Amino acid sequence: MDVYINSTGHYLPGDPISNDEIEDVLGLINGKKSRLKNKILNSNGIVQRHYAINKQQQTQISNSEMAANAGVACIENSYLSPTKIQMLSCATSQGDMVLPGFGSMVQASLNLSEVELHTSHGICSSSMMALKAAFTGIKSECSENALVVASELTSRLFKNKRYEQVEGNEVDFNAEFLRWMLSDGAGALLLENQPRPTGKSLRIDWIKSFSHANVYPVCMSVGTAKNEEHKTWQDYDTYADAEKAGALMLRQDVRLLDNIVSVGVHGFLKLIAQGDVEVNKIDHVLCHFSSKYFKSKIFDMLETAGASIEEEKWYTNLYERGNTGCASIFIMLDEFINTHDLKVGETIFCMVPESGRFNCAYMHLTVAE
Amino acid sequence: MEQVVLTPLGQNCLQALLKVWLDFDLAVSKVAIVKRLEQGRLSLEDYQKLLLNLRQQVIEGSRWISRSASSFDRDYSDIRSTVIHHAEEEHRDYQLLEADYVAAGGEQSVIESTQKNIGSEALHGFLMYRASQPNPVDLIGAMWIIEGLGNKMATKWSRYINEQFSFENNATSFMDYHGENDENHLQELYNLIDRVATSQKNIDGIIRTAKVVAKLYQLQLEEVDNHE
Repeated sequence: MDVYINSTGHYLPGDPISNDEIEDVLGLINGKKSRLKNKILNSNGIVQRHYAINKQQQTQISNSEMAANAGVACIENSYLSPTKIQMLSCATSQGDMVLPGFGSMVQASLNLSEVELHTSHGICSSSMMALKAAFTGIKSECSENALVVASELTSRLFKNKRYEQVEGNEVDFNAEFLRWMLSDGAGALLLENQPRPTGKSLRIDWIKSFSHANVYPVCMSVGTAKNEEHKTWQDYDTYADAEKAGALMLRQDVRLLDNIVSVGVHGFLKLIAQGDVEVNKIDHVLCHFSSKYFKSKIFDMLETAGASIEEEKWYTNLYERGNTGCASIFIMLDEFINTHDLKVGETIFCMVPESGRFNCAYMHLTVAE
Repeated sequence: MEQVVLTPLGQNCLQALLKVWLDFDLAVSKVAIVKRLEQGRLSLEDYQKLLLNLRQQVIEGSRWISRSASSFDRDYSDIRSTVIHHAEEEHRDYQLLEADYVAAGGEQSVIESTQKNIGSEALHGFLMYRASQPNPVDLIGAMWIIEGLGNKMATKWSRYINEQFSFENNATSFMDYHGENDENHLQELYNLIDRVATSQKNIDGIIRTAKVVAKLYQLQLEEVDNHE
């Protein structure tokens, strides 16, 4: 049973926000302009992004509503009636609610009836896990189709007041880093067990991932304070205490970040060795790298390995749409499909390295007849 | 970075070697003492023990390289020159290591009299055996792993160690020196790969030796914690 991506959709909230306007939305921490901002923005190369909060830091649209909007856009591009959708598979790193699962909230927003539901939880690669669950569901003939949606609303974590709550009021590099990296948005894919005559049906050849959480420490997290190894946010007497300790900050241990390059290349070489992918037969590469800086590192390493793929085959919309975490790869695929004249038999190699605790997901697609 | 290896077979070989290296890199990150080093939980005793356990292998390192030089016949005289040069450059590295050990608070007499650990015995035994075979081109695989680790020590381990401790005198000169010179050594290695990766048989030998050396080096590092 072959599985095809037959339709895609995305939703980016509000107008694009330029780099000069970021602090108008996220606020000035302790009333001061960031000294790190330009350095980090120069390194990641992002020039504009979208936020679901406005300049008064009020949430304009919830995470599940963004997901639903992307889902609707995807369904409207498809041959399928929403009443015929059999499975809904969703991903986010942080839903609006702690419980129930994000998928339940998205299903309600989409008003889909009696679907099989799946929610995958994680960071950037969680969308690939949600996609894999849908892919295997159709592959094993448990369903004929599935809507897969990934959405992120991280800007709420970056409001200046969140940083100002932390005792000692000290904002270190690791806590501030992601403030200049991440933004909001949602993407959706519709999978079916048959291609459609759009010229844009993509057969999913395989989805594979390799996780290295047993090797490396946590690199990107919410839930522990700086230098705290065991105590997590729910171990404090009150949530207010957890916030004061800084346990609710989104943190990136930047020193560990370089490992993501070798982990990503390692998996790629493994796939080559297993015969899953032939480098010279890849026509397009869609890689969710978080910044220009990492792109060049990945390039160097692949070149050294004699496994390089020409630069013109690489596509990204990171710089204009922002880094939307797990939604990025779907938003990228959607824009790629809509801006490229694809030919039957062309192949697309997708890669999503996640720095959370070092999981890297890969996917191989072929343009169907 | 430019393409470093030019021949198609050389590229296949380098790709396979890089995969062996990345497998090794992951395996080494799981070794208890390396985990402590890379996660900022190394004690001073740990660092002393690490140097103590590396020293024997470093001394023996120049021996197997020298021996392998003598095993290359006239058809490989160009390789012999490279290998002799390499051995000459590194055969006194252990003195840097000993000075680091003393700077980190160890006794010179202790490091001079310490035996090889079990992993170093196995690693040294294997390397001397391979180096004694005629034209041991597969040892390029061994150099690849050892140079790679030198590079890792210089770019990562030295930094972590200096973040954790403040020494009066430089106590990471061995790791740092290795890094500065490994850039040239790596270029030499790339040239060697182009020179000897001329058949699938040669490539298979290089990859196999790289894998064995990686495993035995891992054992050597695991044994540091068993040092009495």
